[in-house]
Amino acid sequence: MRRLSSLALRTVLARPARSGLTIAGVALGVGVLLAVLITNVGIARGSERAVADLLGAADLRVSAFEERGLDAASVDAIAEVEGIERSTASIDQQTYVLSTIASGIAESVDPVRVRGVDPATFGLVHEVRLADGTTLATGDADVAVISRTLADELGLTVGGEVTLLGDADLGPLSLEVRGVLAAGDPRPVGVDRTVLIPLATAQRLFGTDGVHAVDVVVAADASAEAVTAAIEQRLVTRPYIVATADELTASLQGSTAEFRALAAMVAAVVLFVAAFLIFNTLSMTVSERLGEVALLRAAGATAGQVYRLVLSVAALIGVVGSTLGIIVGVALAAFAAWYVRSIDGFPIDEMVVPPAAIVIALGIGFLTTVVSGIEPALRAARVRPVEALRAGRDQAVGERARLRWLIVVFAVVAGAAVLLSPTDVGPAGIIRSLIVYGLLLIAALCVPLLLGPLGRLVGLAVRPFARAEERLSRGSIARDRSRAALSAGALGVGLAMVVGLATVSNGARAAGTEWLADVIPGDIVVTSIRPVGPDEGIEPELRAVPGVARVTPFASIDIAHEGARLSAVATVGRDLLDDGRLRFVGGDREVALAALDAGGSTILPRAVATRLGLSVGDDLRLTTAGGSASLAVAGIVERSMPGSTGEAVIVGYGDALERFGAAGADLFAIRYAADAPTSTADTVDEVARSYALTPTPVGDLEGSIGDALDHILGLFDAVALLAVLVAGLGVANTFAMSVIERVPEIGVLRATGMTRRQVGRMVLVEALMLGGVGAIVGCGVGVLVGAAMIALGGGRISALPLPSPGVLIAAALIGLAVPVVAATYPARTAGRIPIVRAVAFR
Amino acid sequence: MTMAPDAPFEVPPASDGPAILEARDLRKSYDLGGQPIEVLHGVSLRVTAGEFVAIMGPSGSGKSTLIQLLGGLDSPTSGDVFLDGIDIGRSSDDEATRLRRERTGFVFQSFNLVPLLSVMENVALPYTLAGTDPRRGEAAERVREAIALVELEGKERHRPDLLSAGEQQRVAIARALLMRPALLFADEPTGNLDYTTGLDLLGALWRACVERGQTIVLVTHDAKAAAFADRVLFVQDGSIREEIVLGRRADHSAAPLIARLASLGL
Repeated sequence: MRRLSSLALRTVLARPARSGLTIAGVALGVGVLLAVLITNVGIARGSERAVADLLGAADLRVSAFEERGLDAASVDAIAEVEGIERSTASIDQQTYVLSTIASGIAESVDPVRVRGVDPATFGLVHEVRLADGTTLATGDADVAVISRTLADELGLTVGGEVTLLGDADLGPLSLEVRGVLAAGDPRPVGVDRTVLIPLATAQRLFGTDGVHAVDVVVAADASAEAVTAAIEQRLVTRPYIVATADELTASLQGSTAEFRALAAMVAAVVLFVAAFLIFNTLSMTVSERLGEVALLRAAGATAGQVYRLVLSVAALIGVVGSTLGIIVGVALAAFAAWYVRSIDGFPIDEMVVPPAAIVIALGIGFLTTVVSGIEPALRAARVRPVEALRAGRDQAVGERARLRWLIVVFAVVAGAAVLLSPTDVGPAGIIRSLIVYGLLLIAALCVPLLLGPLGRLVGLAVRPFARAEERLSRGSIARDRSRAALSAGALGVGLAMVVGLATVSNGARAAGTEWLADVIPGDIVVTSIRPVGPDEGIEPELRAVPGVARVTPFASIDIAHEGARLSAVATVGRDLLDDGRLRFVGGDREVALAALDAGGSTILPRAVATRLGLSVGDDLRLTTAGGSASLAVAGIVERSMPGSTGEAVIVGYGDALERFGAAGADLFAIRYAADAPTSTADTVDEVARSYALTPTPVGDLEGSIGDALDHILGLFDAVALLAVLVAGLGVANTFAMSVIERVPEIGVLRATGMTRRQVGRMVLVEALMLGGVGAIVGCGVGVLVGAAMIALGGGRISALPLPSPGVLIAAALIGLAVPVVAATYPARTAGRIPIVRAVAFR
Repeated sequence: MTMAPDAPFEVPPASDGPAILEARDLRKSYDLGGQPIEVLHGVSLRVTAGEFVAIMGPSGSGKSTLIQLLGGLDSPTSGDVFLDGIDIGRSSDDEATRLRRERTGFVFQSFNLVPLLSVMENVALPYTLAGTDPRRGEAAERVREAIALVELEGKERHRPDLLSAGEQQRVAIARALLMRPALLFADEPTGNLDYTTGLDLLGALWRACVERGQTIVLVTHDAKAAAFADRVLFVQDGSIREEIVLGRRADHSAAPLIARLASLGL
């Protein structure tokens, strides 16, 4: 058996290029898998660190439910709860930095995050790491500690001055910079623009007497549950939410669940394609060595020994490839972490390579390789000793690989992928992944049937230029359909994933555009980082701009229904009616929007209505900052405005201001008149910026939605392209083998008058035909994969979603180009075979 | 297999026309482990148009190497080969390839056919490689003639694996004769055939020579095969040891040749 093991090693070394390409394919597959595992761990740790940064040593956070915050009585009540060791209150608000008081215009385009903290207690709960200066002290007033990012951006040092835009009544407030926080934040770059100021100063700055949160450290001899229950009994004056660190972490991680699930899915697809490569390579090795295997059998080797020999070859490739895959995986993970940070994606921690991830990646890589080798091993074991007596046997017409075995290989990889999928996507996410894998498997198994007709179709384009080459290429493909199908199938699977992701991106972009068109009654939206009250005069000033037809306020408020948080948006029904917004699927449009303005009514998005089991005419009982309320469901719409917890319930603007505790509008949608002068947009822009509001044309909103999607899905597309690369490695192997098998045929062709160039062209035309089949299958199945991912992800499909034409063209070109590039060297080799050697080849 | 109705025919004399193939001082060496091994030592010969010449010799004599050089499949280490007046050695690969396609035909011992192509497609291969559609016009007519010549009508759509070894060789001959080449080279064409089939095949080649004036160079180790030729060149140890003129004979008896070889101690 030891001698057979050394034979396995020699088999691998006998074809260094083929073995090298296969090992590279395994390395890429395992590398992507490891990169995904490391990245997902990084995101999980990043979420934990973000929450730790938020809560510090606190076990609980009591958050205000409304804009005006928790009152002093609530804060005192919390402090007196038994089981609380220490607590600290804070305000969290966004505002702008002003460069000069005189100008009154916000200098900084991006808002800063102001945390008003109690200097006496903040340091007991939160760690304050300073790079320079000192922290806030009890009794301090107009002082600030700023983040490193902000200090660098504004060129501020200890002793300098920072001016913040405050409440309309107070105006801007200048603060002395007392200290600079040390760098180190798991959140994406650019978000760490924090200013710490004393709580009283913050209350003065923002014209409030409340706090937004109280962070609580539970005593060692108490439990978080008991403290939570006690808090719930004591807090009766203002609405609030209590969350533990684990709940906040889970919520943050939940927002990244889709990303992580998609990453796992793409990694599985790369591994699938690597499995194709391994299966094909081992099949070719068995076909090539059938005579040798027969000799071994004739000499006395048992079928079991032959089986184990081929599996040893697979195992050797698996070990080497998986080990190299670790290096590839670490490099890919480093790139992924950098990319996620650079696009302001999710919180992601510094890269750490967990040993468990390495073990899992190695194990799955090895298992995939060995399972892929089982069918070729069984085939080799079935070779009869008498085959050794058949000299000059055409190995090309030997036993063909049974592609049905791919089902087993797919099952193994899919099983591993499902086990590695994040658990927080739930069964729906896992089913979605399995359906996508299933579609890809079906496509792969259909390729042998499609090879002939699609090959002819592609050949039609080539025939006018290279008739002989096209005819010979078609015949070569037909010679070993299994091998050709594996090559084209691998390419098709990789391209299907690329096109599928592009379809999802395009579908999401289209949905985003449709959604904006459905709900926004304006050409431009003007947003504010704080609610704009009706008495501040901003809305009338915007209305007064010549050319403005309508200014519609939108206010975001938080409500709760049966203990669960719901998003709500308050607006003016009349404006939506006049502008033709919202698509009603239940209730009368005019009646519902009028009811909104009259008060006491609500309009629900379809998803929420279905979830809550409500219809037109039912009552929605909810809790708001202003107390409990019951609203009549006046209508149900296809889509609504987005809120923090999903699509928002629509309520009347008057209700929001008078009953639900809204302080004002967070956003104005402005519609221009049909005959508005060209200067209207500029004037609106000027007025908005004078109040530190941010104007954004709706078209730009669409663009930024699309850009955000492209950034995230672009990463996955790049990973999916790795699958195409692995498929290319498989094609290179296939053609190298094909050329070897066809040496005698090439000799006859050359002797009959085929030029070297024609021989090379023949190989390239075959590659083009395989690539064409792969591209057609990939693009077609890719659209189906994209549709499945959209539909199963909760999206609605009215027509088959398509990627952009550019993506389809690019995918087709890649599908054609990759095999041609991969076959270039074998084509050149084929043309250079000396005729006499080819003719004498056996 | 017969190529003409089974009736007596006039046997034209062996041609003594102009040389269609001439080799001058051909040498061929191979590098074996850094040492040059010369397998042909200054071979010169001349074949006239319409002649049937056999190159005969034992295994390892260099006869296959010689025919490969004469047919332009390989390049000599030194010496010249003139095929229909063209110096093959000085031609580029593309020129040599075109020459092979248009002026010569080859029949090998085995693996003559492209397994993926039908009989018709294999026979028509020279046209296809030249970019001519073999399904139309004169090309189509010639293909039909060639298939008829080797009596394989009705098997045009068959793949090689559905043909017997003899039928495969006949397809190879049909392809080799398709372009009415100046020269047809056959390297041990009967090596894989049984005795009767082999004789049939050689008869077909002889009739092509007699009836169409086809010049043929045959390599063989078998005296019975060589006996079909007008002239036999006996190669041994990389040189032509003896030239035996048999003349054009209808009975193809090998006895004179064998006797002559025996008398020479070959």
